[in-house]
Amino acid sequence: MLPWLLRRLLSRAIIVFLAATATFALVSLTPGDITQHLDSRRITPEARERWRHDFGLDRPVPLRYLHWLGAVVRGNLGYSWLYHRNVSTVLATTLPRTLLLTGLGLLLEVLGGMTVALVQIRRPHGFVDRLASTVTLTAYALPSFWTGLLLIYLFAYRFPLFPPSHMLSPAGELATGWQRLGDLLPHLVLPAATIGVAGVGAIARYLRGSLLDERLEHYVLAARARGCSMSRAMWVHALPNALLPLVTVVGMSLPFLVSGSLVVEVVFAWPGMGRAMYEAALARDVPLLMGGTLVAATAVVAGNLAADVLYAVVDPRVRT
Amino acid sequence: MGKVRRSVALPAWVALAVLPWGCGKPAVEEVTQPTAYGPHPGGFVIVAIPADVATLNEYQRGADATESTVIDMLFPTLMQEQPDYHLHPPSFAPRLASSWEFAQDNRTLTFSLRRNAFWSDGVPVTAEDVRFTFEIQKDPAVGWEGFEIKDFISSVDVVDPFTVRFHFTRVYPYQLMDANDGHILPAHAWGKVPRNTWGETDFEPQLVTSGPFRLASHTPQQTLILERDPAYWGRPRPYLDRVIFRVIPDVTSQVNQLLAGQVHVVEMVPPRLAERVRSSREVELVEVPSRTWGFVAWNNRHPLFTDRRVRRALTLGIDRKSAVDTVYFGLARLAVGPVLSSMWAFNRNLPVLPYDPEQARALLREAGWEPAGRDGTLAKNGVPFAFDLLFPATNTIRQDLAVIIQSDLAKLGIRVHPVPSEYTSLAARLDAGDYAACISAWEEATKVDLASAWATPSPDQGSNNFVRYSNPEVDRLIAAARTESDATRAKVILDRIQELIVEDQPVTFLYEAPRLVGVSRSILGADINAASVFFNIEEWYWSQ
Repeated sequence: MLPWLLRRLLSRAIIVFLAATATFALVSLTPGDITQHLDSRRITPEARERWRHDFGLDRPVPLRYLHWLGAVVRGNLGYSWLYHRNVSTVLATTLPRTLLLTGLGLLLEVLGGMTVALVQIRRPHGFVDRLASTVTLTAYALPSFWTGLLLIYLFAYRFPLFPPSHMLSPAGELATGWQRLGDLLPHLVLPAATIGVAGVGAIARYLRGSLLDERLEHYVLAARARGCSMSRAMWVHALPNALLPLVTVVGMSLPFLVSGSLVVEVVFAWPGMGRAMYEAALARDVPLLMGGTLVAATAVVAGNLAADVLYAVVDPRVRT
Repeated sequence: MGKVRRSVALPAWVALAVLPWGCGKPAVEEVTQPTAYGPHPGGFVIVAIPADVATLNEYQRGADATESTVIDMLFPTLMQEQPDYHLHPPSFAPRLASSWEFAQDNRTLTFSLRRNAFWSDGVPVTAEDVRFTFEIQKDPAVGWEGFEIKDFISSVDVVDPFTVRFHFTRVYPYQLMDANDGHILPAHAWGKVPRNTWGETDFEPQLVTSGPFRLASHTPQQTLILERDPAYWGRPRPYLDRVIFRVIPDVTSQVNQLLAGQVHVVEMVPPRLAERVRSSREVELVEVPSRTWGFVAWNNRHPLFTDRRVRRALTLGIDRKSAVDTVYFGLARLAVGPVLSSMWAFNRNLPVLPYDPEQARALLREAGWEPAGRDGTLAKNGVPFAFDLLFPATNTIRQDLAVIIQSDLAKLGIRVHPVPSEYTSLAARLDAGDYAACISAWEEATKVDLASAWATPSPDQGSNNFVRYSNPEVDRLIAAARTESDATRAKVILDRIQELIVEDQPVTFLYEAPRLVGVSRSILGADINAASVFFNIEEWYWSQ
């Protein structure tokens, strides 16, 4: 198992390196730089030239790349030109916020999907099944900015139950401890629901399919024959087996956990990593973009690797 | 060019649905609003801002408008610029400096500082702070964007702890303004930070301020809260307990939250939402002169636009008044020349080029452009008159203008292809001169200085003249106006420059944008004026 894991780790590290290199090349080849993004009549071309020199943008791209790579190897991700903070500080503040939001969203998605699938499977092709399919697939098909605005309209303005935006209210910003947490929770509801609602359809669809297969398996029949109720047979016996394919689905969602849902972050003014990366891209804040890319690329390969390992644990045949 | 923020448009039903929320509970319940009549202390104001405040040190690279607003509440300036630039070069009122005086030769300016001003750590604000600030402003290692403003100030001397003297290398109309530019920094606290690391230092943890407010908390990308500084030395002291800046990237959401009472000030209400704000009973729409104006930049070195007759024809061929009225809902003024009509130096006798397609056709014919082919497109020496008109992709107003211009010029036989472009790439193309035409905008300072945009760019010195306009007579007059110390004589020169530029039409002047500020009617005492929205923030108070 260990050599297998090491081989995998090495190949994944190479993938991260290639992704970072490609991103660096792309960003450097895009026209414009941070000094051109900073926009004020006061900024004279001399000042821009000076900054370009300070940022090292007057050096050739390969040199800039080597400089960046050297710093990264030494554990220094650089300084964000846009945020006036170290890249590691920006990532350390924005990443947990995104993880909190997307993590909760994913949890809602999985729990919601499981519930819907189990309700559907009670009577396959019945009215409830078809209705649930229609509703969840419609939610899946809707763009998340639209779902977000719909939820804001319904639950922030029409029936003002939750705040429409931000992570904390101004009073919450000044509070500490439980009070702060109490302010945070209602702010999480709508954006997390926006992420969750979209995914419920996909999870339910997967699970419904595999549950339908499991339903016909002999062990379910055997359980039923011993007097086990249908819902117990599904919950206790069929569900654990049907959940296996979901490992892939959730593993694939890991990168999303990190990169966040940019659109949801913008609609709800959520200060996460997605928004930071978007602004960094517009401003050509290369160090921040590269730092974010490293984190996101690592998350992608880590997600895949985790799924591989899980499969290997479950099925020894893969370990060759 | 105006900075453009991305926007996610809310459908109209969301906008309508916001209204009932206005009667709901206030967004912050823990902070009680005062209830007595008349100016009285207490309460808070929530200001919507489009992007976060990245730095509270304006001498770091590229402090934007929002950052300047916050910095102005935290750090003192020597004087406060008054909103009277429509009458003469701006005048000043005392702030940190209680008085000032020019020596007889007008090359030395002496400020007397207040003796009761202190930094938030209890250290007095002294002449040494003023001298230190000047050093920072001039230091190339720091790299302040405005370092050229101090070009004609040779040195700043400390006479005694509360007297400081500025020495100028020449006499010119904006000496007071240039001396005043930039906020005063705490020498005792920030003098220890090595200059070459200023660009990459986070100053927030070591913030020492001396303004009416001090920093209470800052959650990046979310909220920045300022609170009244009880030790503030100025008069009047602020009535408000707090000023809260909330990051709301989308302008439509800003306005929705304003109408819902969750935000109290929106600094830039988009014209398309002006009517909704105006019809609200809780919110007032204040219109102040803005200093942003838009134009079609013709690349004067592009083969199509080198001929002045062609550029004039293009202006004559665009129905600018109706275009500007359409996209700005009648709220913008038609721009006429290179000086804003709200400035003292504006030449009120400038001829306004009318919409006259016939005259435009005649000028184009004179310049050698004749209809060719079946579709009537103009051509000269076999080259058709066709070009790309660039504009920032996220700016819907300029997108609408591009389409109107396309349709107007099509009537003359000119083929225009509107091309949306991502902002930073567009800026790079303009800098490189790699474009034909672009719809662009400038935000003017309160200082009238035509050099950076209109003087011929020299190879050894940079310039903001990205249209590459060049007229030796204009160059000569600009140089003369910069050194003319008498405002009346300077005005005569500036009038002539404006005439020459309008004759040459290096750009087609389009609009002077309106500045629409949405403010809760519960806020009283606010003097929102052409100088600043928060001009007298100390005097704002809550009604009820």
